[in-house]
Amino acid sequence: MMSSEAVAAPLKQKAGLEDVRELFAQRSEEIWPALRAATQAASDFSEVLALANLRKKALKAGISGGIDKTIRLAMIGGSNLYPLHELVQQKIGARSATGWWETEIWKGDYDNYIAEIFDPESELYIFKPEVIFLIPSNQRCVYQGALTDGPELQKVAATKMAEELLNLCRIAHERSGAEVIVANFLPAAEFDPGSFRVRTLGSNWNFRKLVNMELGLNAPSYVHVCDAEFLATRRGAATCHDPRAWFETKQLYSSDFAVDIAQEVAAIAASLHRPSKKVLALDLDNTLWGGVIGDDGMAGIEIGGTHARGEAFRQFQLAIASLAQRGVVLAVCSKNDYKNAAEPFEKHPEMVLRLKDIASFQANWEPKSENLRRIAQELNLGLDSIVFVDDNPAEIEIVKQFVPEIETIWLGPDPSEYASQLLDCRFFEPRSITTDDLKRGEQYQQQAARAQAMNASETDMDSYLASLEMHSVISEFTEVDVPRISQLINKSNQFNVTTRRRTEAEVEALLTDSDHYAFSVRLADKFGDNGLISVVIVKVEGATAVVDTWLMSCRVLKRQMEDEVVNEIVRLAGKRSCTTVLGNYLPTEKNGMVRDLFPRMGFELVEESTERTTYQLSIENFTPHKTHIQMDRRAYDTN
Amino acid sequence: MTQTEILAKMQTVFDDVFLDDVKVAPELSAKDVEEWDSLLQISLVLGVEKAFNVRFRVGEVEATKNLGEFADLIQRRMNEGAKA
Repeated sequence: MMSSEAVAAPLKQKAGLEDVRELFAQRSEEIWPALRAATQAASDFSEVLALANLRKKALKAGISGGIDKTIRLAMIGGSNLYPLHELVQQKIGARSATGWWETEIWKGDYDNYIAEIFDPESELYIFKPEVIFLIPSNQRCVYQGALTDGPELQKVAATKMAEELLNLCRIAHERSGAEVIVANFLPAAEFDPGSFRVRTLGSNWNFRKLVNMELGLNAPSYVHVCDAEFLATRRGAATCHDPRAWFETKQLYSSDFAVDIAQEVAAIAASLHRPSKKVLALDLDNTLWGGVIGDDGMAGIEIGGTHARGEAFRQFQLAIASLAQRGVVLAVCSKNDYKNAAEPFEKHPEMVLRLKDIASFQANWEPKSENLRRIAQELNLGLDSIVFVDDNPAEIEIVKQFVPEIETIWLGPDPSEYASQLLDCRFFEPRSITTDDLKRGEQYQQQAARAQAMNASETDMDSYLASLEMHSVISEFTEVDVPRISQLINKSNQFNVTTRRRTEAEVEALLTDSDHYAFSVRLADKFGDNGLISVVIVKVEGATAVVDTWLMSCRVLKRQMEDEVVNEIVRLAGKRSCTTVLGNYLPTEKNGMVRDLFPRMGFELVEESTERTTYQLSIENFTPHKTHIQMDRRAYDTN
Repeated sequence: MTQTEILAKMQTVFDDVFLDDVKVAPELSAKDVEEWDSLLQISLVLGVEKAFNVRFRVGEVEATKNLGEFADLIQRRMNEGAKA
């Protein structure tokens, strides 16, 4: 179990039942964020119940930091509402952003909902619910006539059934003022009457589909359909029924399906209290396209075309475009030079998204948390209206830590899943689509054009870096690393101070060259091993050590790796009895990001021209830079 | 699994379902525990089914008189699963 302050935040995000148990045993206030995370993630009936039990125990034990809102919910229906109400209560509670939404629940009697709605004096109304959740009797949703009846007759029966249900909703709403959530009917999952089921509206399968359709298409704005038909189809209808539970205790849903229903009701209830998100902020490299634009260039990135991966990225962009069309505002938040980042949007023929689609475009080398703040400022929207998407878990982590108001989607390693992940994220669900929604994208773009003065506020980068638990190994060049080193030397464009290319044979020669020292750097953090990420070659010229090559993967930028590299260059220069380190910056189209690298690392300017800037560092006056990286090994160390 | 082992595993299910500590024992039944009503029984049975990966037939849990008999029922259903 992790316990230090620095890693508390990641723990919250991944908490499960065991963590919540542990936090309860400690009587820790951290139990509330852990409960929220574990409850939202839980899909197993017993797990949700166990979490509900822990919540009750925590309240009873007086662990503070809990309830920040109370919702009054009445549940009525044609089945036993226990223990469904426990699941609903638990799932709604976890929707709070900062504490816990406690749901005060009143449950109607088994199959008494019609009387409860029609009787103006009933306890339903005395309870004064804010929300009513109605689960009508599934058993009654059956066509009474024959399968061979005329379709008109069958259609009338279905329409009437939907009308009656909507009428109940109307009365309940008018008498209580409550919003009404109504579950529609479960799809029939038995084969009977065989293929004939599709030829008649009288089969349970078709009849219920029609009733559900009529219900949804005619529902007024105060009625919210909990789409049991869709949820059951998604899960597999046969697994949603449980006849034994019906006979024994009048449960309508199988236990795990009851969790799906509870989750959905909670989503609807939360949407009544919280608006949906407005902005989708997107990473670029390996998110919108495959590869790194700064290194691979326009011809090298994977988007569209005839390749499977390129197709997957294009499909993701199409999904994004479909949200934009509905009024979701798009922003870019990427670690890149602006020029590199914008180029595919302007010129790549396979890109779906173009610059005009992006309301706020932040491509630079600042932390993403800062850039997301800028996006919020430019668009004049709250941070809590933004959803941030990235393929890199470390970036997701930094955003969660520093701007917890922002929701995040971690895309994971397989681009084929990106589009469905976005379409399943549930952050951008409209309650109704208006023409205003459709215009919103344009409006925000104008807003962004106006807001140009931005103040970057400082984040506590230090504690983030500490929480990453970084470890590094620096090694002199070795035989086995030669291919990877050569690859980096010939591919890296952005973080590359001299952009000197070398063949594999030339790299190999450095292994035994006494005029040079050369090393490679590996970096691992708690999310995994980043592999070989930096290469340095230094030429010793008498008392001067000249940095011939220094390149680094942009993935690990601003992790203090630069500082450790300088420490190592200086340390090894000292061992070679050098007194000065000389560094050259040779500008190219792509390496603008390291223009200031040497001065930032404490080097002094010697001379400057258009093709070369030279810096130097006196070893005598050098104090090694302090970092949060634990150095497990250094180069040319024999132990 | 012996009856004692089954009862020990049932204890974890009980801990997740009951608010107060309820000590599992062969003679214990619903009437001994105030919190243990017919509704809580539903959660309990589903929890037991998950924990032991068994499925009871309609009405048969209801027919057990105490946890000892319930444990024996679990045992029978587990054996059945093992044979299948």
